[in-house]
Amino acid sequence: MTIVIIGNGVAGVTAARYLSEAGAEVEVYTQEAYHYYPRPRLQKFLAGEIELHELPLYPPAWYEKRGIAVHLGVEVVELDPRAKRIALAACTERGRSNGRQVPYDRLLLATGSRPFVPAIQGEDKGGVFTYRTIEDALAIKRWACPERCPEPVEGPSRRAEGAKRAVVVGCGLLGLEAARALAGLGLGVTVLERGPHPLQRQLDAEGGALMRELIEAMGIAVACNASSQAILGDGTSPPELAALPSSPPKPALSPVEGLGGKEGGLATGVLLEDGRRIEGDLILISAGVRCNVGLAQEAGLEVNRGVVVDEHLRTSADDIYAAGDVAEFRGQVYGIIPACLEQAKVAALNMLGEEVAYEGTIPSNTLQVVGIDCTSIGVIHPPEGEDYQELRKSEAGVYKKLVLKDGRLVGAILLGDRKDVAPISRLIQRGADVSCYAGRLLDDDFDWKGLL
Amino acid sequence: MDKWECLVCGYVYDPAVGDPDGDIPPGTPFEALPDDWVCPDCGAEKDMFEKLV
Repeated sequence: MTIVIIGNGVAGVTAARYLSEAGAEVEVYTQEAYHYYPRPRLQKFLAGEIELHELPLYPPAWYEKRGIAVHLGVEVVELDPRAKRIALAACTERGRSNGRQVPYDRLLLATGSRPFVPAIQGEDKGGVFTYRTIEDALAIKRWACPERCPEPVEGPSRRAEGAKRAVVVGCGLLGLEAARALAGLGLGVTVLERGPHPLQRQLDAEGGALMRELIEAMGIAVACNASSQAILGDGTSPPELAALPSSPPKPALSPVEGLGGKEGGLATGVLLEDGRRIEGDLILISAGVRCNVGLAQEAGLEVNRGVVVDEHLRTSADDIYAAGDVAEFRGQVYGIIPACLEQAKVAALNMLGEEVAYEGTIPSNTLQVVGIDCTSIGVIHPPEGEDYQELRKSEAGVYKKLVLKDGRLVGAILLGDRKDVAPISRLIQRGADVSCYAGRLLDDDFDWKGLL
Repeated sequence: MDKWECLVCGYVYDPAVGDPDGDIPPGTPFEALPDDWVCPDCGAEKDMFEKLV
């Protein structure tokens, strides 16, 4: 049985591993030029803590040993569910097109997501980036500080002196971690948040206010209620791009940067809707992601925000499954590693003929790279009018919030203290009834481990 | 005792260190970790780990 997987992120590689262990022949196609790398480690690369070659997690031999064939730098341009085959496009590594057709018995869509770029005037200026892949991180680093660029600079580094001030548009997990990495490179950094506090998805108002203090204490400026209207530019004509005849084409560069150097000149800052101007010569847009549903959509599969899957991770087409950031399960696209892992496993088992059901994943995020202990698990914004109980405590740089429903622990925010993260996470996973301790749960010396 | 590596993120479980945040004392072999123990860095379950040789 030939199983084709499109995408080599967490979901694709995890499924490949389960499938190959069961003896299936697995072919993985990916547009990326690199073997699987954990995206959270990109921060470390951007900040200069690890080298480029340390990013991919396994050597090629790891795949060979398991009989997994990975085709790097290959774009799948068409999916034909009736004929059960895919069509490949140009091999970006070699710069030629072959249009080869590949048949499959079962197919897994693990195409992930891409950065969302909101409509902001002037986003095509030089020095504007998105941030998701190794190529993005390389392009950002080359712009920020060419002298620390880990590779001989092939492409144009249009600023020999590097960048001085960065503006990060979007104060989610990824934006904050990028901000921290850029600060680590010596840039002054301002993070823009549209809402009233950072990490809207993970924190409530009280936790968000404390988070803001903690970020600012690290020397990173935070501007809240900040909606970006335009990227400001210096009005210069296209920089010395054309004067670099030896530069090979760089198709892998982030699309936004690729647009840079058109008429818009170089970015000098961001104009907010309320008139504020935030200066910066490196603008990083981190405003969320969108699922890569194009292939599925053109093939006629059911698609909403993501590719719709049932509890067996089956799409609406026979023998086609989806998992990870591209999959939408019961109206939800998770976009977190634990969900990718669970979905990939369940999809792989079902592709092998076992009937295994996926029940959803409890959202959980732990922010580590920023150097602040912040964990957000499960339900943290309980819907009003329903029977939820919220317990809160804030003192001395620590904020704790516990959410109970019918006496069971269903969610928590733990900010500034990671002592009880592990037992609380496990109790939430189990839906443990903690009602008889409710009066003491927020005590500093409450014995969470004793409840396990 | 063997070290085990998370196949998702590269975290290495070292029995000599244990997982203090996960309440796993030093000296705990990987095999003896609770079934619902997860990778402290990325949340992967135990079956996503591979023994380092």
